[in-house]
Amino acid sequence: MKPGTQKHGKQQTGTIIPMTFKTLAKNPVFKTAAFLLPALGCVLLPHVMTDTYYLGIINYMILYAILCMGLNLILGYAGLLSLGHAAFYGLGGYTTAILITRCGFGFLSCLILSGIIALLFGILLGLPTRKVRGDYFCLLTIAFGEIFRLVAQAWIGFTNGAMGIVGIPIPAILGWSIRTEADFYYLGLILLAFTSITLSLLVNSKFGRAFIAIREDELAASVMGINTAVYKIIVFGIGCFYAGLAGSYLAVYQTTVTPSNFRLEESCLMIIMVIVGGMGSLFAPIAGVIIMTLATEYFRGISEYRMLIIGVIMVAVLLFRPQGIFGTSAFKG
Amino acid sequence: MSLLTAETIGKKFGGVTALKDVSLFVETGEIVGMIGPNGSGKTTFINNLSGLYAPTTGRFMFNGEDITGLPAHVITGKGISRTFQNLRVFPNISVLENILIGLHCKIDTSLWDVYARVLKTRKVEKQAREKAMAVLELADLSGRHDTLAKNLPYGKQRLLEICRAIVSDPYLLLLDEPCAGMNPVEMDDLAGFIRILQKKGITVFVIEHNMRFIMSVAERIIVLANGAKFQEGTPVEIQKDKKVQAIYLGEEGDL
Amino acid sequence: MFFDVLLIGIMVGAIYTLVTIGYSMVYSILKLMNFAHGDVYIFGTFICYTLLEKYQLNPVLAILVSAVLGGILASFVEIVAYRRLRAGQHRMISMITALGAAYVIQNSNELKWGNQVMAFPSILSAKTFQVFGLTIPMTQIIILAIAVGLIILFTLFLKYHPYGKAILCVSEDIPTASLMGIPINKTITMVYFIGGMLGVAGGILYSTSYNAVSLAMGFRGTIIAFTAAVIGGIGSLGGALVGGMLLGICENFIGVYVSSSYRDPITFLLLIVILLVKPTGIMGAAEQTKV
Repeated sequence: MKPGTQKHGKQQTGTIIPMTFKTLAKNPVFKTAAFLLPALGCVLLPHVMTDTYYLGIINYMILYAILCMGLNLILGYAGLLSLGHAAFYGLGGYTTAILITRCGFGFLSCLILSGIIALLFGILLGLPTRKVRGDYFCLLTIAFGEIFRLVAQAWIGFTNGAMGIVGIPIPAILGWSIRTEADFYYLGLILLAFTSITLSLLVNSKFGRAFIAIREDELAASVMGINTAVYKIIVFGIGCFYAGLAGSYLAVYQTTVTPSNFRLEESCLMIIMVIVGGMGSLFAPIAGVIIMTLATEYFRGISEYRMLIIGVIMVAVLLFRPQGIFGTSAFKG
Repeated sequence: MSLLTAETIGKKFGGVTALKDVSLFVETGEIVGMIGPNGSGKTTFINNLSGLYAPTTGRFMFNGEDITGLPAHVITGKGISRTFQNLRVFPNISVLENILIGLHCKIDTSLWDVYARVLKTRKVEKQAREKAMAVLELADLSGRHDTLAKNLPYGKQRLLEICRAIVSDPYLLLLDEPCAGMNPVEMDDLAGFIRILQKKGITVFVIEHNMRFIMSVAERIIVLANGAKFQEGTPVEIQKDKKVQAIYLGEEGDL
Repeated sequence: MFFDVLLIGIMVGAIYTLVTIGYSMVYSILKLMNFAHGDVYIFGTFICYTLLEKYQLNPVLAILVSAVLGGILASFVEIVAYRRLRAGQHRMISMITALGAAYVIQNSNELKWGNQVMAFPSILSAKTFQVFGLTIPMTQIIILAIAVGLIILFTLFLKYHPYGKAILCVSEDIPTASLMGIPINKTITMVYFIGGMLGVAGGILYSTSYNAVSLAMGFRGTIIAFTAAVIGGIGSLGGALVGGMLLGICENFIGVYVSSSYRDPITFLLLIVILLVKPTGIMGAAEQTKV
C-alpha cells in the first residue's frame, strides 16, 4: 500500500500526468475535504431545508439507514439471510416504550438498554446457527419474527395488544430535550455516525474478514482457524444491536409503537433496501434506503400497489444486478 | 518424538469403512507423500486429521498432544494448516484479504480491542498486512495483491491457497492433491515452492495422484489401498515395489 | 369431544400434506425456499371461489380449472423469477427473489379480491352420520378421502409414471439426470406445476371445510408448508405426510384446549424446537458434507 502512495504522489508533482480519480482519492487534502464537506452539509441541512415534511422523510431515511447497515452486516458480510430483523427493531421499540412510559426511565438509558436487549435476543437466536443449516436458519428468523409480533399482539397486559403503546413522552438527553423535526434529525445523525464508526471499525478488523470468509466458504473458514459458530453468533448479535437502537429512536420519534410497525413486510423492505444499495459494502445500503424511501413517497398515491412494486423491484434487481448499485461481486454469480 | 503420530485411525460412514487401522508418523522437517488409487481413503485421512471429521477409532498425537476429534478451527490453531483438493480460495475478495484470513488465528485482536483500543488494532493490522505481503512475495504473487482471487489463473489460485495455509506459520502443512489440473511447468514450480517451505521449517504432508510429482518431492512415501496402509518407503523403494505397481496398473499405469 | 378434535385434526393434516408436497419437492430438487407457494395456492382458491360464486360453475369443473391455473402460475413464477438464478449465484439470492415473487402475487390477489375474509360456498353435502356413537359430518370424510386419494395418486405417479421417475432422478442429482437425457428445465417446471396444482387442491379443501377464504391464508399456507416439511423431514413424501398430519392435529388441539390466539405462536415455537432438536426433521436423514 505505502510504496504505491508515494509513487502516485511523485507522479502528481511531475506535472503532466493527468489527475485520475484514484490518485485524487489518495490526496490527503482531498480526503479531508471529501469527509468534511458532506459532514458540514449534514450538520447545516435543517437550516437550509426548513420544511418539516421533507425533514421528516430524511429522518425516516436515517432510521432505515441504521437498520439496514446493521442488517447488511448479517446479510452482506456474513451471508446469513435474516427475515426477522423487524422483530429486533420491535424489541428495541417496545423496550424503550415500556421503560419510558411505565418505569420513568430517561431516554439515554432506554436507548442503551434497547440496543442491549436486541443484542441479547440476537445472540439467543444466533445460538442455533451452530446446528441449523443456512436455509433453516432463515426459517428460524421468520418464526422468531412472527412469534414476536403475535405475542406483542396477544399479550395485552404487557404490550397493550394491537393498539400498541401510545403517548411516549418527549425524550431528553443530558438536558437537551428533543422536540422538533430538526432535533430528531440531529439525534438520528448522531446515531447514524455512531453506527458508521463502530461498524467500520468492526469490518476492517479480523472480525470483518472472518464474517466475509464465512459468507464465501464456511468450511474453508473453519480450516483457517475461525470458530464459525461463535462468529455467526457475534455477527448476528451485533447486527441486531443496531436494530434495537433504531427501534428506540422510532418509539420516541413517532411517540407510539404498535405490532404492525414490525411485520415481516418491514423485514423484507429492509432486505430490499440493502439489496438495491448493494450487499457486503458498508455504506452501499444507504443508497438503497434513499432510493426506496423516495420511491415509497413518490408512489404514495397508489399505495395499494405498494407491495406489488416492491416485489417487482426485488425480482428485477436480483435478476439483472444482484450486486446492487455499490455492492461486492460476491452476489453477482 | 515425532511431530505427528497417527495410531490405528479408522473411519466408518454408516456401514462403509473408509479407513482401517492406519498408523503412521511424520518427523519434523520431512516431506511425506501419500499415494493410493481413487477411493483409497487419502482425503478422508486428511479430513480426519484436520478436524473436519472425527475418526471412529484411533488417535492423532501432535506435538505430544492428543488432538483427535477436536474441531477444525482448534486444530488449525495448534499449527496444522491444509489446502483442499477442489480448490477453496475465497473467490470474491482480494488476494491479500485471502492471505489475511489465513492469518486469522495469529492476529491477537479481541472485540474490546476493535472498539476501545483502536490504535493498537490498527498497528496489529498493519503488521499483519506486512506479513501477508511477505508471504505473497515468496510465491511471486505480491504484484497482484489487489486482484480478486477468482480472477487469478488456476495455477496461481492453487499457489494462493498454499500461501493462505502457510502464512500462519504452521508446524505441519497438509496438501490435498496440489497438482490437480496443473500443467507440467506449473507442477515444477510447485515442487520448487514446496522445497522452499521445507527450508523455512515447515513439515509437509502431501497427497498426490501424480507419480512424477510425488516421486520428485517426497522423501518418504506411504501407500494407501482400500482404506488401509499398504506400503511405506523411500520413493525409489516404492517405485520398485511389485505389489504397488500391481495396484496401480489396473488404475493408471503411469508409474 | 376428543375424537371430534382428532378427526378434524386428521382432516386438516391431510390438507396440509397436500400443500406441503409441492413445497417440499421444490426444496428437495432446487434447495429453494419457494416463498410464493402459499400465495399461488390462495390465488387458485380465489379463482375457484369466483367461478363458483359468480359463474355458478359445476364444482368439479371449477376445482379442475383453478388447480390448472394455479399450476400455470406456479410454473410461470419459476420461469420468470427463478430459472435464471439457478446456476452460480449465492443461495440467498434466489430465496429473496422468491420472496419478491410472493409479494407480487399477494398484492395482485389483494387488488382483485381484497383482504377481507369471504364465505366460501359449500360444495359438499352437510349430512352427518353416526359411528360408535360419534356424530361425523360427511364433509370431513369426503375431504379426507379426496386429500388421501390425491396423495396416493401422486405417490403412484412418482413411482410408476416416466415423468414421475424423471422428477425423482432430478431430485437426486441434476447434472447426472441431465447426462441421462432428462430435460431438466421441463422437469423442474413440471414439479412447480404439480406442486401448484396440489397446493390449490389443498387450499380449496381447506376453504371448503372452514367455509372461508382470505388473503392472509396465503402467507399462512407458506409458513405451514415450511413448518410441516421441516418437521417431517424436507424433501420426502413420507416427511410431508408426517409433518402435515402432526401439524394439523397439534394445531387443532392447541386451538381447542389452549387458546386460538396462541395457536400460531405455538406452531412457530414447535418449528423452532424441532429445528433445534432434530434439524433434519423426523423422517430426514443427516447429510454429510462432502469435502
